[in-house]
Amino acid sequence: MKLDHSLPLEYRTEEGQLKILGFWIFLGAEIMLFGTLFASYFTLVDRVGSGPSGAEIFEITPVLIETLVLLTSSFTIGLGIHAMRLGRKKAMLSFFAITLLLGLAFLGVEIYEFVHYVHIGAGLQTSAFTAILLTTLGTHGLHVTFGLFWGLFILLQVKKRGLTPETANKSFIFSLYWHFLDVVWIFIFSFVYLKGMM
Amino acid sequence: MKELFPMKQIMGFVFSLMLTVVALAVYFLNMSFAMGMTILVVTAFIQAAVQLVVFMHAGETKDKGAIYTNVYYGVAIALVTIFGTLLTMIWGYN
Repeated sequence: MKLDHSLPLEYRTEEGQLKILGFWIFLGAEIMLFGTLFASYFTLVDRVGSGPSGAEIFEITPVLIETLVLLTSSFTIGLGIHAMRLGRKKAMLSFFAITLLLGLAFLGVEIYEFVHYVHIGAGLQTSAFTAILLTTLGTHGLHVTFGLFWGLFILLQVKKRGLTPETANKSFIFSLYWHFLDVVWIFIFSFVYLKGMM
Repeated sequence: MKELFPMKQIMGFVFSLMLTVVALAVYFLNMSFAMGMTILVVTAFIQAAVQLVVFMHAGETKDKGAIYTNVYYGVAIALVTIFGTLLTMIWGYN
């Protein structure tokens, strides 16, 4: 295996570099996926039927908590990758663990929010608006849920095998995924919640 | 301990918090729809750029060109999808 020692661990093999590029291409497809969800959301946002509108059901407090928690988790996983590049395995694992706990907190608030919506009569079948709202939020939430399991397994693998070109590569790719989820949330925060409450 | 908290990433985090506060102005202040949307579009896209450059290390390797081309392509398709849909489903009927 050819190793290029001028690069960080995750980029050292050609295979590793290609995997990172490949994951960026996947993220490009994810951007398009969320693009279609936003297109549907903007089309259906005023089709509230006899159900509630966004302004009536959105609450600023849980949304702010979710935003701050996810922004912070994106910061801590960035610190985790920085620690990984310094070869500080323990610090990296701590930052990854904090990231996953914040992700779990985000998911907790989002589940509370969903239960609340259904409770006040804004379920998946109430109107076109609630359907696309819960589908858009749910797709993002599902990505976070998947990320929590993925991140947990990465964490366990680094703990067991240490920092190698393979585990570093996997950790870096996971960090890309996690940052991407934060970017998607920023758009949900801006164009679903803030626009809805404006 | 100090080397675990690089200045670049701390500044990136502080900047993204500031952008969130600016975006919140549309909720707390009274303004026109056009003004509010302008603020949201500007803050959201700068936020995305901060994540991409500071945290995702998009411009770090020789694949830089391919990565940015791919991201721009994804964003372009998403924008065409969104505005094309709005044009055919909403604006076209007004």
